[in-house]
Amino acid sequence: MNKKLLRGLAIPLAGLVALGGLAACSTSGGQSDGSGVVNLTFVNWDNGMDKVVDAWNTANPKIQVKLIKPSGTGYTLYNKLITDNKAGTNPDIAEIEYPAIPLMISNKVIVPVDKYISSLDNYSQNVLDRVRFEGKTYGVPQNICPLVFFYRKDLFEAAGITKPPATWDEFAADAAIIHGKNPKQYISNFDAASPEWFSGLAEQAGANWWSAKGSTWTVDIDDAATQKVANYWQDLLTKDLVAPGPSWSTQWNTDMNTGNIVGWISGQWAPNQLPSITPDTAGKWAAAPVPSWTAGDQQIGTWGGEVEGVTANSKHPAEAAKFVDWMNNSEKGIDLLITKAQVFPASAKYQSLPALKTPPPFMSTQPDYNALMAQLASHVRGFDIWGPNANITFNAYSDAFGKAVQNKTSFQDALKTVQEASVADMKKAGYTVK
Amino acid sequence: MATVPAAAPARPAPARRRRRGPILPVVLVAPAVALLLLFTFAPAVYAFVLSLLRVHVSGGLLGTSTETVFAGVANYASTLADPEFWASLGRMLLVASVGVPSVLILATLFALCLDANRARLTGFSRLAIFLPYAVPGVIASLLWGFLYLPATSPIGGQFIDYFGNTTIFFAVANVAIWGVLGFNMVVLYTALQSIPRELFDAAQIDGASELQIAVRIKLPMIAPAMTLVALFSVIGALQLFNEPTTLKPLTNAISSTWVPLMRVYSDAFVNNDIYGGAASAFTLLVMTVVATVLVNVVGNRLSRRSAR
Repeated sequence: MNKKLLRGLAIPLAGLVALGGLAACSTSGGQSDGSGVVNLTFVNWDNGMDKVVDAWNTANPKIQVKLIKPSGTGYTLYNKLITDNKAGTNPDIAEIEYPAIPLMISNKVIVPVDKYISSLDNYSQNVLDRVRFEGKTYGVPQNICPLVFFYRKDLFEAAGITKPPATWDEFAADAAIIHGKNPKQYISNFDAASPEWFSGLAEQAGANWWSAKGSTWTVDIDDAATQKVANYWQDLLTKDLVAPGPSWSTQWNTDMNTGNIVGWISGQWAPNQLPSITPDTAGKWAAAPVPSWTAGDQQIGTWGGEVEGVTANSKHPAEAAKFVDWMNNSEKGIDLLITKAQVFPASAKYQSLPALKTPPPFMSTQPDYNALMAQLASHVRGFDIWGPNANITFNAYSDAFGKAVQNKTSFQDALKTVQEASVADMKKAGYTVK
Repeated sequence: MATVPAAAPARPAPARRRRRGPILPVVLVAPAVALLLLFTFAPAVYAFVLSLLRVHVSGGLLGTSTETVFAGVANYASTLADPEFWASLGRMLLVASVGVPSVLILATLFALCLDANRARLTGFSRLAIFLPYAVPGVIASLLWGFLYLPATSPIGGQFIDYFGNTTIFFAVANVAIWGVLGFNMVVLYTALQSIPRELFDAAQIDGASELQIAVRIKLPMIAPAMTLVALFSVIGALQLFNEPTTLKPLTNAISSTWVPLMRVYSDAFVNNDIYGGAASAFTLLVMTVVATVLVNVVGNRLSRRSAR
């Protein structure tokens, strides 16, 4: 959920990852000692997860879980899991974000959990589609993170804007008003460094980057809907109505904190990060649905969201699945996730738990924050499936769009580059691509 | 005739020395050779083997069977055929063309200044110039990043775009220059200190000025050391990675394949293609060795000519 928290540091610390990999080699799969206690290992980078694990350990003396913080988050972790999988040293349970699940399945890092879990009826089909492939369910979904528009209510009002933009046309108009009043201010930035920010916007617009029929893939990253999104943002950039820099950079953090950037299209998890990004602005932010393409359309994309998967290396998959099921699919576990890790549960049944009546601390001025999340979550739309090489697509997006922003060249060409890189890699690996 | 018996007993001695001789050097050299083989050659050979393989996925939508198959030179072909590889080499050479001469000139200048008769506070100055070398590259890059970005820049980042399409090369080279300048300055300063002082006295008596001594005597005499510094700098430039990687999250100007080593990293650890990464790495290794030999040969020629 806090996937972006360490992002700024992740790259400078890349060199340490190799060392971390060596150290983690000693943490082999679950061990059972003579006393009949099963010991499991669980890799997860979310803040507050230790308290959830502690609660489980107290209640389940026979299945003890040890939490491991990974040396790198996101694909740094997934690539390590793929490598360690071959050596048989993976932890029993791993945190995996939705876009990486096909990659994890094709590398046989995680296994289906159907035979260990009695029921996933608490989940909507929409969520299950993200973890169920060819009739098998890989892991138990933890949270769902719709895109949300966070904005500085005070600065919007100072610019004479009384309500958040409901459509993208209004967003562009507001952008012009804000920048017109104060040339230093921007309504938001265009984030060429965050592929899932862009894919979330593409999901909202109706894009379908990957789809599959039988065992044949269709890759359509430069489809009409995505082109619409790309053109829209290029237009804003050309008119100098949005800032061109990446999020989580020193520049962006400073601009957010000083009020030069007055909005952020982000995910449900943002209130977890805003305190460190803009410590001086607590209480001044409000959350609203992301503008829509046509007035009244509530369809929205996601950014982030994770599954707890059971690894192929685990010697105790049944016990691991039991823990994962308790954490993500029981009232007790979800209650802890909400209060300790500010998670918004993926399981529809629990999206109105009493614990959700309290907003995250940073959004204390918006008591109905989680009600808004529940409303957004019910309109979440994703691609049919994430490609088995979404990492290639994501990296190609950052490179191609970063370059296009820098050189002020066409976003259409950048999209084409991303499409070609994704298809070429799939074909090279041996997948059937239409 | 009389010399024959005298010479005869002398003969076994070199023979004995020859027999004993080869063992000691071998023993003394063995640890170094073993470490070199184990930690340099073995990984290189392994990287070469990896570079000839690739992953092949088959069976179903998500590839139920994944196998590693022999790829021949396919990985090399795709590296060499990728315009982005050559572009990344070009960018690296641009940074090097700014960085290497700057390091050489500044290191020589600082060393000569410190060695000059009139120099004061040499101990402090030497330390001050050397100190940036002790700052880890990642930290230095982050600090320079803060200095460059408009939001935090005390050096005019509000007016100069340090991450522009041209300025970026100077911005990256600048970070790298201060990282290696101190070390190279010390190499040259040490070389200067080892020149016999009598030479300077003699030159002074002959009426040579400080500047003449520096240009006519000191520079030619430290030419071999300067070759070494040039070699270090070129190798350093070929290994450019820390600075652009650390600056990358701050700007759109640096892509994940901005310089060749970043490409190797991104192939192997971002795109999860260890085999393609190995091919790029091995290609780069060959280029580095060739460049090193070239610089060495040319440098030796030059310093020999100037010594004459």
